Amino acid sequence: MMKKRAKKASARIGVLAGAAGAVAAFPTLAFAEQAEAEASSGISVILPHMVEFIPMLVAFIVLAIILWKFGWPMFEGMLVKREQTIKNDLEKAERDRIESERVLSDYKRQLDDAKNQAAQIVADAKQTGEGVRADLAAKAKVESAAMIEKAHATIEADKKTAVAELQASVADTAVAVASRIIGQDLSDDEHRAIIARYVSEAGSFNAN
Amino acid sequence: MPTKRELARETVATYASFLVDGANEAGGQQCAVDVRNQLANILRISRSNLDLATALTEESAYTPEQKGEIVRNVFVDANPVLKEVLAVMAERGDYALLSRVWASYTEQLEKKLNVTVVDVTTVVPLDDALREQIINKTKADLGTDVVLNEKIDKSIIGGIVMSANGRRIDASVASQLEHARNVLKES
Repeated sequence: MMKKRAKKASARIGVLAGAAGAVAAFPTLAFAEQAEAEASSGISVILPHMVEFIPMLVAFIVLAIILWKFGWPMFEGMLVKREQTIKNDLEKAERDRIESERVLSDYKRQLDDAKNQAAQIVADAKQTGEGVRADLAAKAKVESAAMIEKAHATIEADKKTAVAELQASVADTAVAVASRIIGQDLSDDEHRAIIARYVSEAGSFNAN
Repeated sequence: MPTKRELARETVATYASFLVDGANEAGGQQCAVDVRNQLANILRISRSNLDLATALTEESAYTPEQKGEIVRNVFVDANPVLKEVLAVMAERGDYALLSRVWASYTEQLEKKLNVTVVDVTTVVPLDDALREQIINKTKADLGTDVVLNEKIDKSIIGGIVMSANGRRIDASVASQLEHARNVLKES
């Protein structure tokens, strides 16, 4: 396709170059022909004169040969080079596209990995947090139970101490009252009666 | 060869025996009991008076003659036999054996005279009926004649405390109240 278009373009350039060369080589004939055309008429108007036609043809052929020999290879080399450049560019673009797609795929994969890792980290952190929270809750529960038990023990001990102190106080008071009553309110005879009863009820020296 | 402890025991027994015999010869059983009570008082005084105890027991404090003179002057109202025995003990450096002499005296009083002194503590003086009741009871317990050594002590509140030969019967109101107090506290 490219070669066909290149050949058409070269043909047009050849025609134009031939015409330009003829005009440059025979300017006088052109003016003479114009004057003669103005003077003549009929079919001869459109038929070339051999005198003019042959040199123009020769010039055209010479110019075409020159162009075919020197111009065309240069032009074809430029086209080939251009074609190669475009091809290389296209291949490079294709490689770049593939590379970019690969990079993009890598980026996407890495992004997915990063997202997965982030999700895993968040999940781990959440799980760890829940574990820590559960541990703290269990520990707090145990500590609170221990504190309650200790408080109960302390209360019970204080209660026992208070009861013991109350009992001791009551006992001391009762003994003091009894001592005062017996010591002050009993007569000597009553004391002697108590002594007599205690002597009769007392144990033996041999028993001690 | 006798040991030092055996020698001391023999010395103590000798002093106690001499005291019992001397008191008995001087005034019979009652005199022996009086000597026993005086000996108990002297023992209590000697224990409570540190200066007297030091003067009579320390070797370097006074000479033996001075120690004997101290005893005669301090216990001038004591039974003469007792006073002389104590003076001899002080002169010989045996005054520290006084508590053991008293214990031995009590034992020998029971053995030689068949009599036991029972210390009776009450809050009111005993009447004859109580004395007879106590004597009959202690006679039955101890198997010897009994002489009561009566003391009045209001701290026992009521009842009676009897002791003889290191044995004691505490039937006082104070001890019973103390027992009741302990029961109330422990319940």
